[in-house]
Amino acid sequence: MDRSAQSAVNSGAQVRLRKLSKAYGGLAAVDGISFDVPAGAFVSLLGPSGSGKTTTLNLIAGFLTPDSGDILIDERSVADVPPHKRNIGMVFQSYSLFPHMTVADNVGFPLRMRSRLSRHAAQKRIAEMLALVQLSHLAARYPRQLSGGQQQRVAMARALVSAPRLLLMDEPLGALDKKLREQMQVEIRRIHRSVGTTVVYVTHDQSEALTMSDLVVVMHRGRIAQIGTPRALYETPADAFVADFIGDSNLLAANIVESRPEGCRVKMRGGAQIGTLPAPFAAAPGAPAFLLLRPEDMSVQLQACARSDDREQLTGVITELSFHGDVFKLAVAVGEDLLKAKVAREQGGSLEVGRQVVLTWRRAAARLLPQASDAASGIEAATP
Amino acid sequence: MTALAQYAAAPARRSVLARPHVMPALLLLPCLAWIAFFFLVPLGLMCWRSLAASGFSLQDYAALFSSPLYAKVMLTTLKAASLATALALLLAYPVAYVLTMSSGLRRGLILVFVFIPYWVDIIVRSFSWLIMLGDHGLINKALINLGIVPAPLELLYNTFSVLIAMVQILLPLTIVILFGAMLRIDRTLVAAAKIHGASGWQAFRTVFFPLSLPGVYGAGLLVFVLSLGFYVTPALLGSPRQTMIAQTIMVEASDLLDWGQASAAGFVLLVITTTIAAIYNRYFSLDRLWGGSEP
Repeated sequence: MDRSAQSAVNSGAQVRLRKLSKAYGGLAAVDGISFDVPAGAFVSLLGPSGSGKTTTLNLIAGFLTPDSGDILIDERSVADVPPHKRNIGMVFQSYSLFPHMTVADNVGFPLRMRSRLSRHAAQKRIAEMLALVQLSHLAARYPRQLSGGQQQRVAMARALVSAPRLLLMDEPLGALDKKLREQMQVEIRRIHRSVGTTVVYVTHDQSEALTMSDLVVVMHRGRIAQIGTPRALYETPADAFVADFIGDSNLLAANIVESRPEGCRVKMRGGAQIGTLPAPFAAAPGAPAFLLLRPEDMSVQLQACARSDDREQLTGVITELSFHGDVFKLAVAVGEDLLKAKVAREQGGSLEVGRQVVLTWRRAAARLLPQASDAASGIEAATP
Repeated sequence: MTALAQYAAAPARRSVLARPHVMPALLLLPCLAWIAFFFLVPLGLMCWRSLAASGFSLQDYAALFSSPLYAKVMLTTLKAASLATALALLLAYPVAYVLTMSSGLRRGLILVFVFIPYWVDIIVRSFSWLIMLGDHGLINKALINLGIVPAPLELLYNTFSVLIAMVQILLPLTIVILFGAMLRIDRTLVAAAKIHGASGWQAFRTVFFPLSLPGVYGAGLLVFVLSLGFYVTPALLGSPRQTMIAQTIMVEASDLLDWGQASAAGFVLLVITTTIAAIYNRYFSLDRLWGGSEP
């Protein structure tokens, strides 16, 4: 394994999508998207169902032909290259292992189809891959004799056995339970590090995308909502859709009352005014906007504290309180808004429903987002 | 009452109908009664007659096994049925494959063309082959007029004419059974083969075809058993040399009125058919083909 891992380092392909479009019956599934996947990177396509992420993956695989646009793998257009000649590995949502072949034969399939390895070399390579996914002892079994997690590993081994420069994964962990899923996330990262292949990973699970990816492409209705590192997406979402889809969030409708170069003041529905917030868009006074506050950025106090320049505060009443082990999650009614907050376990002892509390947060932690009609209507679609 | 108490009390209020097995049994009853009265009872009567006609001896069976005629007819029957089954499978497979791979209007159209002959009566279809294959039939006339052959070919009253008609009659059923089996094959498996380096033909050969074999074996068994009982087709299109077992039984029963002999022959045919089906199932059982049932 060490030798192949050595030779595989930096062996990932670079993928470029250029104004790619695909429609089904007049409905655009993928609508003119462009993005680059750097060589060797782990890139997730994240979005709710129907956002076009699986269509995008199938276009890269070559199962679908784009209506327009182009895909470049290592600067070479693959428009006329059939799937079997693209040198791609793929892990399918349902694993799609061949039921009439043993684990070893499943893993060896790409070798039999693709390479001219001798029988002996092929056996050795299969053994290497099975060792990599820790399934050497199950080589002679049939897929249906394996658990979901084991089938998942076989699918990984099969996808990687011929050392493809690009690995596509279509919601590979969707069918596993939570614990196993988290275990496999770590496993997939480990394997990615050791083989160095470029990975394009489709998921609708934002926490999965955040923990695993170098880069996340958030998709919404066939278009790209935002591309960025997990941290950038979480901390500086481009719009309300991305803010709502990634992580827990409070998105509060507000109106801009004052717009100055150093920031804006906004008025919330309950009448409270908050400022000064940097606005990442052209904000005119009177324009509607969303105020984004992450629940974990909120601090809950029993009494109002002295006003300070870098903190904001709102007073409200606790309407819901639930214990999640490491944290308490609570909902606080402030005027017409309901704010979510997260409090560490040891600080939640004196909280109870009906109690008046003061929510405070650092000004820098809040963000103002545009309230475009498109982004706003996307929120319902994104809420699970 | 708390939810827990309700849950605990629920079984006591269940009617007889709610017991497991009662409802399935009730639903099966009409069908079982039908089969019992119109199939099992006549079958029992047949068995009874095959023994009773000769005063409860095995005389009719002895006559059956000592007669060279029966052995020959049975062999002809098995040969014709095997050949017809093999040909039907060979011709039906590509059609079923195209059906599976197409969709919408194309699939609908193919299915209609597959079924039109099925809706025509077997006797009518057999007669239509007389018109096609006769000395003055469509084919011979065309061949002679085109100057390909000087005299009419002997297309009728031989193994060829019997087989061609049998296969034509069996094809719709074979296609539909194969189509049903192929529809159950997960098509992403073919996609998985392709992305991992298999060309279209390789994906078919290594994945689709092996996975379609259980359907082929299943269709083969059904079509074979069906073709063992062909009666009208060999009678109309064959010569005495193509006589099949069903015809012989018919002659025994209705012309010679030897009901004991006819019953014995019928029973032997049933035993042979069942045995073949059992052996076949043992070697081509679905579990083996899907892999992994072995310890």
